[in-house]
Amino acid sequence: MIDNDKIIQALEKKLMTFGEDVKTQNVGSVIKNTDGVVIVSGLSKARMGEKVVFKNGQTGTVLNLDEDMASIILLGEGSDIREGESLVTTGQMLGIDVSEELLGRVINPLGEPLDGKPKIKKGKAMSLEKIAAGVVDREPVNTPLKTGIKAIDSMIPIGRGQRELIIGDRQTGKTAIAIDTIINQKLNKKPVICIYVAIGQKRSTIAQVVDRLNMEGALSYTVIVSASAADPAALQYFAPYAGCAIAEYFLEKGKDVLVVYDDLTKHAWAYRQISLVLRRPAGREAYPGDVFYLHSRLLERSVKLNKENGGGSITALPLIETQANDISAYIPTNVISITDGQIYLQADLFNAGIRPAINIGQSVSRVGGAAQTPAIKSVSGRLRLELAQYNSLAAFAQFGSELDPSTQKQLDRGNRLTEILKQPQFSPLPEELEIISIYSVISELMDDIPIDSFLRFEKELHNFVKRYHPNILKALVQGEKPTEATLNQIKKAVEEFKKRFE
Amino acid sequence: MNRKKMNQLVFESYSNQFLNQAKVNKIVKFLSKSDLKQYINALKLEEKKKSLIVSAPVKNQNLARFTELFPNKKIIFKIDPSLMLGIKIVDNDLVYEFTLKSSLDKIVSYMEQNYD
Repeated sequence: MIDNDKIIQALEKKLMTFGEDVKTQNVGSVIKNTDGVVIVSGLSKARMGEKVVFKNGQTGTVLNLDEDMASIILLGEGSDIREGESLVTTGQMLGIDVSEELLGRVINPLGEPLDGKPKIKKGKAMSLEKIAAGVVDREPVNTPLKTGIKAIDSMIPIGRGQRELIIGDRQTGKTAIAIDTIINQKLNKKPVICIYVAIGQKRSTIAQVVDRLNMEGALSYTVIVSASAADPAALQYFAPYAGCAIAEYFLEKGKDVLVVYDDLTKHAWAYRQISLVLRRPAGREAYPGDVFYLHSRLLERSVKLNKENGGGSITALPLIETQANDISAYIPTNVISITDGQIYLQADLFNAGIRPAINIGQSVSRVGGAAQTPAIKSVSGRLRLELAQYNSLAAFAQFGSELDPSTQKQLDRGNRLTEILKQPQFSPLPEELEIISIYSVISELMDDIPIDSFLRFEKELHNFVKRYHPNILKALVQGEKPTEATLNQIKKAVEEFKKRFE
Repeated sequence: MNRKKMNQLVFESYSNQFLNQAKVNKIVKFLSKSDLKQYINALKLEEKKKSLIVSAPVKNQNLARFTELFPNKKIIFKIDPSLMLGIKIVDNDLVYEFTLKSSLDKIVSYMEQNYD
C-alpha cells in the first residue's frame, strides 16, 4: 500500500511541474544532406554525440561541431530530409534501453526489435559511449571462460575479463569459434550472458547464427545486436558500442558477460566511410587518424571488476578478417596490439582438414594462463612444446629423405596431437572430457590407435567414461590437479575401452 | 568563396543595423551564381540572428516590453492560435516555449516514455 501511495504522490508531484518550467529548445536547419551526413546551421548549444530529432521524426547524432555549422550522421534512411528542414537537440547522448527482456532477442543498435516478437519494455537507459572502469575497480583475470574447444582451452586459454582476438581470412572458421564458445556457456551453473554483435554482415548469415543458437538452446542467455550490410554506416558504427552498453548493464548486476564483435574490420570500414563523408583527413589505407582510438576505447571497456564493485566481468572476443593472411595490415596490427592475445586461423590448415584451423605458433593468450584450472594446466603443459617441436620437424620432413627412428616417432606423436585437437563444429566439450582426450594422447595411451579412427575413438571413449566411470568425471570437474589415483583410473578406463574398440 | 570572406561581405552589407541597398547592389555585381546563392543564404542567417519572433495565441499588448528587453533586435509578432495559452519566443536558434501546447506535449511524451 505504501508503495502505491508513493507512486501516486510522485505522479502528482510530476504533474504539478509540467506547466512550470520554460521549455528551451535549440533548433537548427538543414543546409546539405549527402550520403547519410547532414550539414546544419544553428544548433549553437549542441554537444558532441548529442541526439537530435528532425521534423519528420528521423534521429541523428552530432559528430562534428564547427564555428557556425554542425555535421549530423543519420540513424536511418535520410532520403526525405530536405534543405531548410528544421531539427531540435534533445539534450540526451545516444543510448540504448536495456533490461533482462533483451535476452533471446534480436535488436538493432538503437534497441528496436528486429525479430518480429513483441515490443521490448523500457528498461534502464545505458549510454553508448562510456569511459572504461579505472585501475582500482579492477582485479586481474582469474576465472576461466571455457570455450569448449580443446585447442583453445588447453593452449590459448581465455579468462573472464580478457580480450582475445580471433583473426584469419574469410571462411576459416572465425565465427564458428565464437558461436561454439557461446553454445558452451550453457554448461556453466550460472550461465555467462552472451552478446553477439553482427556488424556489416549479410542478413542471411545473421539469420543462420540466430537459428543455430536457438537450436542449441543458447538463445535464452544471448542478445543479438544486428547492424547488417543493408543498414546505414552510422548504425554499423554504433553497433559494437551498443553491444558493450548492454554488457555493462549486466556487469552492473555482478554478472559475467561475453561479447562477440563480428567483425571489427567491417566496423572500421563503416567508420572510414563516415569519416570520409565528414571530410576528415584520411591517413593510412584512407582510415582517419583516430581509428586506433575507435577500437581501443571499445575493447578497454572489457573488464574484470573486483569484489567491492560486484565482481562481474566483460570478456570480449573481437573478430578481424584479414586479406590473404596479411596480419601486418593496419587494422589487424592495431587490434592485435590492443587485445590480450590472438587466435590465428589459417586457410591452408583449414583446407588440410585441421579444424579449428588454429595456427598454434602465432596464437597466444597473454593473461589467460593465470585463469586456467590446475586440472587442465597439468595436462596441457607439454602439449604446446611438443606441437612446436613437431611443427619445426615437419617442415624438414617434407623433403622426403630418410628419417631416424626417434624423429619418426616425434613426427608420429605430433600427428596424433594434431589429430586429437581436431573438433567438429557445434560440439564444444566440457573440461573434464577435454582432459581425458589430451591426457590419453600425451601419456601415449592412444599410440596403437590408427590415426584415421582417432576422432571416432575419442567420441566413443567419452561415452564409455560417462557411462562406466562417472567417478573420473566427478574428480576432474572440481578443477583441481588430478591425483595419481585419478590418472591411473583414466589409464585403466582407456585400456579397458581399447579392448572393446573395433 | 571561403566562409571568412563571405562573412566579411555580409558584415559590409550593413550600415546601422540595416541592409544597405546600394552596397548590396555593388557586391552582387561581382558574384558568380553559386557565390550569390551562398551570399543570399548568409544574409538570411544574419537577418535571423538580428530578429526575434514572438508568437502568442492572441494579439499581445506588451510588445514594448520586448523592445526594451532586446534593444538590438527586430521584433516580429505572430499570432498562432495552436499554442492555446502562453507565449513562444524564437531567438535565432533558441526557442523558449511557455505555452499550454508545450505542457500538454510534455505530458504526452512523459506518458509515452514511462508507460508502455
